Amino acid sequence: MVEKEEVGGGISEEEAAQYDRQIRLWGLEAQKRLRASRVLLVGMKGLGAEIAKNLILAGVKGLTMLDREQVSPEDPGAQFLIRTGSVGRNRAEASLERAQNLNPMVDVKVDTEDIERKPESFFTQFDAKVVFCPVKEALEVDWSSEKAKAALKRTTSDYFLLQVLLKFRTDKGRDPSSDTYGEDSELLLQIRNDVLDSLGVSPDLLPEDFVRYCFSEMAPVCAVVGGILAQEIVKALSQRDPPHNNFFFFDGMKGNGIVECLGPK
Amino acid sequence: MALSRGLPRELAEAVAGGRVLVVGAGGIGCELLKNLVLTGFSHIDLIDLDTIDVSNLNRQFLFQKKHVGRSKAQVAKESVLQFYPKANIVAYHDSIMNPDYNVEFFRQFILVMNALDNRAARNHVNRMCLAADVPLIESGTAGYLGQVTTIKKGVTECYECHPKPTQRTFPGCTIRNTPSEPIHCIVWAKYLFNQLFGEEDADQEVSPDRADPEAAWEPTEAEARARASNEDGDIKRISTKEWAKSTGYDPVKLFTKVRFTFFIIVGRWMYCCVQSQGEETNAPDQQNEPQLGLKDQQVLDVKSYARLFSKSIETLRVHLAEKGDGAELIWDKDDPSAMDFVTSAANLRMHIFSMNMKSRFDIKSMAGNIIPAIATTNAVIAGLIVLEGLKILSGKIDQCRTIFLNKQPNPRKKLLVPCALDPPNPNCYVCASKPEVTVRLNVHKVTVLTLQDKIVKEKFAMVAPDVQIEDGKGTILISSEEGETEGILHCIHSLPSLRRLIKGRVHISGSIYWYVSSSPPLTPTLQRKGQYCHQGLNESSRELVREEGIEGFLTKVEAGDRFEIRKVRTWIPEAQEQDDVLIVDSDEDSSNNTDVSEEERSRKRKLDEKENLGAKRSRIEQKEELDDVIALD
Repeated sequence: MVEKEEVGGGISEEEAAQYDRQIRLWGLEAQKRLRASRVLLVGMKGLGAEIAKNLILAGVKGLTMLDREQVSPEDPGAQFLIRTGSVGRNRAEASLERAQNLNPMVDVKVDTEDIERKPESFFTQFDAKVVFCPVKEALEVDWSSEKAKAALKRTTSDYFLLQVLLKFRTDKGRDPSSDTYGEDSELLLQIRNDVLDSLGVSPDLLPEDFVRYCFSEMAPVCAVVGGILAQEIVKALSQRDPPHNNFFFFDGMKGNGIVECLGPK
Repeated sequence: MALSRGLPRELAEAVAGGRVLVVGAGGIGCELLKNLVLTGFSHIDLIDLDTIDVSNLNRQFLFQKKHVGRSKAQVAKESVLQFYPKANIVAYHDSIMNPDYNVEFFRQFILVMNALDNRAARNHVNRMCLAADVPLIESGTAGYLGQVTTIKKGVTECYECHPKPTQRTFPGCTIRNTPSEPIHCIVWAKYLFNQLFGEEDADQEVSPDRADPEAAWEPTEAEARARASNEDGDIKRISTKEWAKSTGYDPVKLFTKVRFTFFIIVGRWMYCCVQSQGEETNAPDQQNEPQLGLKDQQVLDVKSYARLFSKSIETLRVHLAEKGDGAELIWDKDDPSAMDFVTSAANLRMHIFSMNMKSRFDIKSMAGNIIPAIATTNAVIAGLIVLEGLKILSGKIDQCRTIFLNKQPNPRKKLLVPCALDPPNPNCYVCASKPEVTVRLNVHKVTVLTLQDKIVKEKFAMVAPDVQIEDGKGTILISSEEGETEGILHCIHSLPSLRRLIKGRVHISGSIYWYVSSSPPLTPTLQRKGQYCHQGLNESSRELVREEGIEGFLTKVEAGDRFEIRKVRTWIPEAQEQDDVLIVDSDEDSSNNTDVSEEERSRKRKLDEKENLGAKRSRIEQKEELDDVIALD
């Protein structure tokens, strides 16, 4: 990436013009910190594309999109960075051109390897890492104490939905798929009963119709969650505002966006 | 149950089969267009009158640098086709307020979504959607905050059910005589730009108002002014722009003339500054210390602004000359010399009025009404718009909410806060089933032109009104077709002739029906809800009020005067109340006025004391926009 000539303040005129509206919001210092940060983004489905877009537009120094999967026939039109005719290509690679075009001043890179195979040294080059993986420990909350039970009443049901989905993923090694809608729905309901039972919680907390929302990423939901998440990353990199503590749950039907503080006690 | 992108079949079919309209292709519009396409909407109309600017690129992600200058709607469409060629998008590089987009046009859509940034367009789309009975999703963002809501005729409030806070305006005398905040100086500088290079507007007077008692003129200043006006000939007869042209926009002469509008002793020193600008050899900003912020964020010294003033005038003069005879420049915050002009003029004025000067960066924000904007807020709101839209198309409008995006979670841990939608306001003059407004006119004073421009078009924001008299013959008073009723409009004679014709009702139709009646004066009352105004008085009456106060006036009012005063909008910039009302009426029997209770008078006197003096005076000075005319809810 070519270093542009500095014109006052440590950023180039081009950057000052392009980032004007956000500099007016979070200030020049925050913008400079963003500009010095490298981010690793693992997983380039719908949600990943949203986050990539938001971070690239924000003007980070570099973004590495890591994904080992290939573009499936459903993907084009479900992920707006993938050009048509890319079925069969690696998802990250297929997203590269349109991602880079969002902001030529960002160094956008692609990595097609399996993240589990990466050495620790790989991760140290990044200032922030966005990974979609089970945050098991954070979710291992003991709900049996009195205090916990009281807190439970105020906890959004989305938390339990998340538990169900994670269990499905662990058991089946994949996410629910519309190809196997019938059997997957049954399994999801079964898991719901088991999970809620083991937590000592009534099944009514997560009504049955949750099932049909488990089968695909919905673009508008990706947009909402991707927007919130990307802004959290911007906050972390710019060190300007405190991040939310610590989980964000979004329910598209109710329009609720809830911040829950969850962790092992 | 088969699913398409997570949607149940029926909904997926409605989504794929129906046509939707997106109004605006900017920050929200780009995100919204992308979401709609990815959710399966196949027929999307997209309209935007704007072209792409480099400052859009931090969030309007469908645009790249190479597209700067091109139509937003057009480029957005092209960009989407790259990842979804099957999308059927119709792009209009046009204003939604163009009458071509009539009720029939709106009826084609199963859903309309606004992605706008101004109230006029929002009002307009609101009315069109009500008239066409199409659900509308309204939204907006600013910085980290945003909101979404649903508008459906008969089910929810419309956009205009409750008055929105009016935009901050400043009284004429604050701008002209007594600025106390930087924004006053900035507004003044913009007015000055228009006086010199742009469309001259009588509401944008920059010279000091001599009638203002606070304008204490020093004798020496008064003399100098007199001399100047003699030297320059009869200034009053030619416009500022013509005068400036005649002197070749000489910055020194300009400053000297304008100097008197700057109004304070320092003027002479300013004059020397401008004189000496030719002698400067150093580059303006040669500082050895590294700058902490952007170049534009530096605050320069007075000399630099004096130099910038004269330099920008020269550039603007050339631009204006290049455009030919009778041309005008339109102020644009992204035009460097226009921005330089306002920056320097505003700062010089700030300095004279003992305010700390501001950087170009800050002045640009204020002068250009810039709202900071980022991609993520727009992304979230646009996602919510589609989700609300899906609820509507599923027949579940009862599940729709107004959703607010906050910066921090509220005490109930919510960052996104849904609120129930309110039912329509039965008294809303826009969406009520039989919308009716009574307008009382002083038919001795009001012309048909005023009725059209000030009442129907301005106050009620109707775009192309037709006004018909319900006299059984359907006599047309005002026609939206050009030329049809020109003759009536330009008649100076007032409405008395109309009054003969009106047996009570005049029918105005644009997209909504109104009733206007001239009605007999009210019985005299002095009701005070808030602050009062003198709107509706003729010049001599105003004089009287000025001298004697409202009570004195009331005792002296002449028999036979018929008028009503009612404040239509907020006068004080900071006031939150709308439609403060004082109805003062005099009837033939002026003794009625003594009926006004002592209590009322003393209450009003207390109000006077509390009032900001400047503001009160400003109401007197403010150009009366509706002489003798008022509107009632």
